[in-house]
Amino acid sequence: MHETALVKNLIHRVETLCADENAERVVEVAVWLGALCHMSPEHFTDHFRQEAAGTCAEQAQLRIETSDDINHPQAQDVLLQSLELETEDEAGP
Amino acid sequence: MGRKTIKVDYLARVEGEGALNVTIRDGQVSKAELRIFEPPRFFEAFLRGRDYAEAPDVTARICGICPVAYQMSAVHAMENALGIEVEGQLRALRRLLYCGEWIESHALHIYMLHAPDFLGYAGAVDMARDYPDIVKRGLSLKKAGNAIMALLGGREIHPINVRVGGFYRTPTRKELEPLAETLKQARENALATVRWTAGLEMPEAERDYHLVALHHPGEYAMNVGRIVSNRGLDIAVADYNRHFVESHVQRSTALHSHLREHDCYLVGPLARYSLNHGQLSSLARETAKEAGLGVTCTNPFQSIVVRSVEVVYACDEALRIIDEYREPERPFELAEPKASEGFGCTEAPRGLLFHRYRLDASGGILEAQIVPPTAQNQPSIEADLKDLVGGWLDLPADTLRERCEQTIRNYDPCISCATHFLKLDVRHE
Repeated sequence: MHETALVKNLIHRVETLCADENAERVVEVAVWLGALCHMSPEHFTDHFRQEAAGTCAEQAQLRIETSDDINHPQAQDVLLQSLELETEDEAGP
Repeated sequence: MGRKTIKVDYLARVEGEGALNVTIRDGQVSKAELRIFEPPRFFEAFLRGRDYAEAPDVTARICGICPVAYQMSAVHAMENALGIEVEGQLRALRRLLYCGEWIESHALHIYMLHAPDFLGYAGAVDMARDYPDIVKRGLSLKKAGNAIMALLGGREIHPINVRVGGFYRTPTRKELEPLAETLKQARENALATVRWTAGLEMPEAERDYHLVALHHPGEYAMNVGRIVSNRGLDIAVADYNRHFVESHVQRSTALHSHLREHDCYLVGPLARYSLNHGQLSSLARETAKEAGLGVTCTNPFQSIVVRSVEVVYACDEALRIIDEYREPERPFELAEPKASEGFGCTEAPRGLLFHRYRLDASGGILEAQIVPPTAQNQPSIEADLKDLVGGWLDLPADTLRERCEQTIRNYDPCISCATHFLKLDVRHE
């Protein structure tokens, strides 16, 4: 449910972070899918590819971790865990 | 070129967008237009071609806060189409499940979304710093509602145990007993909630509403009844489309509903309470009286008190059902598919929720129509704003925006912009 709006929100956040860091593009996006978030990795990937088109995350690799703990406090949520960014300078990790 | 990894841990959220455009002419509000932009959901189209038996599970996914309402209106419409009557303990269990949803949904709205408005906080997290025990009470109430959902629905969110004809599995008496203990504590919390909300500072705002709700002669209507109003409407659910119409307005992706003869109307707690007050439990009625409510209530800001009274009622009613529960012989009645049309209308926490389905001979869904309470209330929200904003025009811009948000949240709109959201544009012509 609400997948489009949810992934749009996530992409918007990725774009903001990318701009804040003066990065050229996003190399990798790591997300965590809660056990009750109703999105399989395949489903999430489809939506991500659609919404990321034309943004700094268009070419990003997706690293998806899924949880099977239905009692996890964020079992219904999708978390953006980390981003790997390509920057102009020689910044370290 | 370099690379860097940044840790984020950001919670992705469902986003809707809300904006309110107010037009002032000669010092008076001439227009108040609420714009809601949500991505299309396509549920009605998505249901077409699916089997009738799938509708309860599919529709439960429409909303994470009131899945039972969608599920119940769908399952009742299917049973209406197929000529099945769900009676006795199966009917009572469905009412119990709906009590669970009222408790959890109302508690969420009262404590997390609406109370911060009255106390001047941006949200529940800020409020919790100064009122930790109050917020904990709200969470405890919500948990009690969720416990009912988990036991009867199979899980707390998007329940999966309801099927056309009854349930996939019914609980034993022994399984229900611990729930009664939870609900007795919840009822105490609900009583405290009424007293607390009644003490909040309420803006004066009586409105002349056309109130519409289900009415049943034998009970405070939740799952079944006729559609009635305070201006003489009294129709069977099957006649909904003869009296109500949905229209698209350019400014919003949410549809607007109107009564064909009377324009806008109000559904939800104020309508239910005002039309069915006499059928509340005696404890809920006494509590409402102590809170200063009359037998009707048309101040939209007092909806937070009315919701609290309904939580008392839902706890009371759930305890009654558990006390009288006898394990049914079988969990469901069998349905035979046939070419047919069915109608279902139930009282979602936010108000009347109408479903209609047309089936082919093998039970495939040919047509689905779902009219949620927010669509029905949207013209009424605009009417409230138009009526009330005129008196607030001297307020500072931020205070005016907060007051408008609070007015919208009186309705507990089933949109993601029920959280703090509003872009306010006041234009002088």
